[in-house]
Amino acid sequence: MVPLSWYLVLAFMLIGLGGYGMMVKRNLIRILIGAEIMGNGVMIALVAIALYSPVFSFTGQGLIILVISVAAAHTALAMVLMLMYNRRYGSVDLGKPVEMEGQ
Amino acid sequence: MQGFDPALFEQLEFLLIAGIVLVLAYLALEHKEIVYAAFFFGFMASFVAGFFLLLEAPFIAGMQIAVYTGGISTLIIFASLLLPRAQDSTLETFATPRARQISLVVAVVVTVMTGFLAVIFPWAESFSEAFVSISQDLNGLAHWLWFENGIYVQMIALIMITALVGAITLLRMDKAEQLSSITGVFGVEAEPKTTEEATINDDEHAADDSTGVDE
Repeated sequence: MVPLSWYLVLAFMLIGLGGYGMMVKRNLIRILIGAEIMGNGVMIALVAIALYSPVFSFTGQGLIILVISVAAAHTALAMVLMLMYNRRYGSVDLGKPVEMEGQ
Repeated sequence: MQGFDPALFEQLEFLLIAGIVLVLAYLALEHKEIVYAAFFFGFMASFVAGFFLLLEAPFIAGMQIAVYTGGISTLIIFASLLLPRAQDSTLETFATPRARQISLVVAVVVTVMTGFLAVIFPWAESFSEAFVSISQDLNGLAHWLWFENGIYVQMIALIMITALVGAITLLRMDKAEQLSSITGVFGVEAEPKTTEEATINDDEHAADDSTGVDE
């Protein structure tokens, strides 16, 4: 059996990678991809803990179903906000409002 | 096969999938073409489903493929095609390399520290491996979800519908705001009034005002 710590290390590596993408990128779509990668890391950690725990077997899976559902809804909402941002500023550049303020 | 150790095979499988997932996640963040990046994200989500299969959670694996690979990555691909300047390569990094370095350092520190905590935490004492339950029982999961916690499932559905209706309303409000400059209040295109209509309207308003004063 794979040790739980392996899953957790991988999960935290994905969370770190997603966080790096969210901090470094200016493209809103890329930032959304970073957030989704972080979400995937969290889900791996949750399912692993659920499997290794005698209590959380179904609770963990139920929690993951909640997380996946909410992720789908928040992605749709993020897309709409991105479209609105693009209409207002003519770009998906995160730094655009600051640039426009400076002009 | 003699001498074959299933545990070792499972660990090798884990390492292989982990390597592929990390490479695909990196490509999803760093590939120049954002459409390809979205494709890499979809592939990454599929391989994450492989972890769920390793963790004896096939229902979650199916849901992961349906929602992430089938839904979210498609949504991202369509968004990148719809938004005209989404593929601008100048948007990929912050203007100063210093900001990038700081972000990289913060990400590495957070990953190392959380990973370290995960490794040193006494998981063995917390969850005895003797009690590891294999949760492949889909009937049990369905019973647990719908009979014991059905109200929470309905709450999730309500939250999702609220979010989606909110998203559509936001989009329509934004569109209406943009169109209001060229259309009338009721969405009908505004027409300039003739002189006669304007005079009649003014008289009606004056009559209304006077009755209002009398009352």
